[in-house]
Amino acid sequence: MAVPAPGRGQPIADDGDQFNFCSTCAFSGACLDAGVDKGRLRELHMLVEHTSPCRTGEHLFREGDPFNAIAAVRSGTVKTYVTDADGREQVRGFFLPGEVIGLDAISESRYPCNAIALEPVVLCRFSFPNLSSLAARMPGLQQHLFRLLSHDIGNAALLAGNHTAEDRMAAFLIGLSRRYGARGFRADRFQLTMSRADIANYLRLAAETVSRILRRFQDERLVRVRRREIELLDLPRLEKAALTVLRS
Amino acid sequence: MDAPVTFDAELLRRYDRPGPRYTSYPTAPQFGPQFTEERFRAAALRSNAEPIPSDLSLYVHVPFCVSPCFYCGCTRIITRDRARGGLYLERLIREVGMVAPLFDRDRDVIQLHFGGGTPNFLDVGELAALVGSLGRHFHFSDRADRDFSIELDPRTLAPGDVGRLAALGLNRASLGVQDFDPEVQRAVNRIQGVEQTLAVIEECRASGMRSVNVDLIYGLPKQTLEGFARTLDALLAARPDRLAIYGYAHLPELFKGQRQIEATDLPDAALRLELLQLAVQTLTTQGYRFIGMDHFALPGDDLSKAQAAGGLHRNFMGYTIHDDCDLVGLGVSSISHIGDSFSQSYRDLPTWERAIDEGRLPVWRGIELDTDDVLRADIIQQLMCQGEIDIARTEEQFGIGFRAYFPEALAKLSALAADGLVTVEPGRIAATSRGRFLLRIIAMCFDRYLATSQAPRYSRAI
Repeated sequence: MAVPAPGRGQPIADDGDQFNFCSTCAFSGACLDAGVDKGRLRELHMLVEHTSPCRTGEHLFREGDPFNAIAAVRSGTVKTYVTDADGREQVRGFFLPGEVIGLDAISESRYPCNAIALEPVVLCRFSFPNLSSLAARMPGLQQHLFRLLSHDIGNAALLAGNHTAEDRMAAFLIGLSRRYGARGFRADRFQLTMSRADIANYLRLAAETVSRILRRFQDERLVRVRRREIELLDLPRLEKAALTVLRS
Repeated sequence: MDAPVTFDAELLRRYDRPGPRYTSYPTAPQFGPQFTEERFRAAALRSNAEPIPSDLSLYVHVPFCVSPCFYCGCTRIITRDRARGGLYLERLIREVGMVAPLFDRDRDVIQLHFGGGTPNFLDVGELAALVGSLGRHFHFSDRADRDFSIELDPRTLAPGDVGRLAALGLNRASLGVQDFDPEVQRAVNRIQGVEQTLAVIEECRASGMRSVNVDLIYGLPKQTLEGFARTLDALLAARPDRLAIYGYAHLPELFKGQRQIEATDLPDAALRLELLQLAVQTLTTQGYRFIGMDHFALPGDDLSKAQAAGGLHRNFMGYTIHDDCDLVGLGVSSISHIGDSFSQSYRDLPTWERAIDEGRLPVWRGIELDTDDVLRADIIQQLMCQGEIDIARTEEQFGIGFRAYFPEALAKLSALAADGLVTVEPGRIAATSRGRFLLRIIAMCFDRYLATSQAPRYSRAI
């Protein structure tokens, strides 16, 4: 029986082609700004390799693997993490559709962390040597790479500093909201595709604390949580709480 | 669902057809062997991963009964050998030890229910050991509104048992009565005195239990209006907080015990309706609220208050005030509902025992809901609990256009609307006061699987 699927699925970018980027592509801004001609654009597209989907729980790369490509997430969520001396996992970050992973590997030519698919993930891979040589001929692309790099560093700094658990949670939610919003997805309602344990690890909180804070936010009508889905009901108040963290 | 319920015999007669009771959607016949132990573990892991993992609701099945009630369709084992209870308990406790660690410790148990069979086939000491084990392996909620309940057979309770059960933390009891008429009791092989039953209700109250439910059945062999009226009068003198009036479903090809019942002793369709009508009229005159399906409650009962506030829910254990719990079934044939999955444990005791002995979870069959199932389950839940579907909220929550998504259901509903069971408006679909006894008929319009499953598996609507 053919029934249209209810539209609760995860954000996924439209398919690109030879001349058009996927709607969320991390590089779509690179060429348009700089007035790149069609031929160049095509060259960039030729670098793109849509990988076959990774299964949930599959590693995209591991710490120490040689670096040869950066990748943009086309659909799904990727988690990066390192393992500390005691064998405990430390979550570094989450990458959403349209975001680029592997930038922090450029300097050492090896991946400094592990990357794992939190749900089925499709990537667009860009061979790094080819991308570099193209960037040398395309100033727009070069600039864009720099922008991506500095943004990546900014993300890492997001949760440093001595902030309350509530403010960190607010900053985390506002961060996700802005990132989804920037790529044309709903900014006020999305799935938390990472587990409670991953959120807790990332924010350096206990799992119970994550739930306790979200329950409090829910009682204060800041958010509504339904299974994995979260709805931000009061963006201004969340922004205010997040500000102390995002500013530092 | 504040509208009074109207008893329309003509309408009920016309719609007296088999249908599921929708304690789950998809219903149990859709469960399959592709749902394995690994899937169960994965579902538990996923449920822990939610940002606010649901509270837990535990169901524990005790399959033994000392004598067979002929009407019963539950999974049960008839024995007078009490030692079997002890052996079963040992394995149950081992199952608790395997299942509980799958769920994060900060997930409170807000609901606990012992069903059967006859839970009090186990003696109070055995039940205490079981509650103790559950309390050590899970975390019991300390909220005042937690529901810890047990089905009791008044015939096998010793004086003082109820008080000791209450001391274990059980705060609700459900008593099987069916009918006090001696003729009926002989025909169904359940001899149970009025005094004996009322004494247990009194004992529940005296020991501080928050509510007492009584189950009655209409449509039993030898049942008469006069006898059933006397049963209702005797019971209502004790004012149980909740009453369930189930229709007897005679399916002897499915339930062996029912073959002891002479089909010629069964009331005909007209009498069945009169029996139901008598119960409904008596209860509503006496101030009980109709909760839905076959359930009534006093206005001060938690179920009535939850229904008035739109906070009523329904799961395998019937109606409840507790929202969206993950339901963990323990014991033979028990059903679990974890996240978007349903599963059931082995239904025959030796297979269940072997799994426990080998250290395996006794998962027999189940189903993982797809997005279409989740949507339809939500709609059926709205119907069963609120008696109406909020179209705008459903469209918003699931990202669908209702009319475009449900053309077949709407076509079927328009026939029901013409008969006065439902009203279909742009914003909502609501059962009328006459349709509230036929909620399952309305819900069936949204059941995608009905066309492919065999009708005799379900009891009749009335």
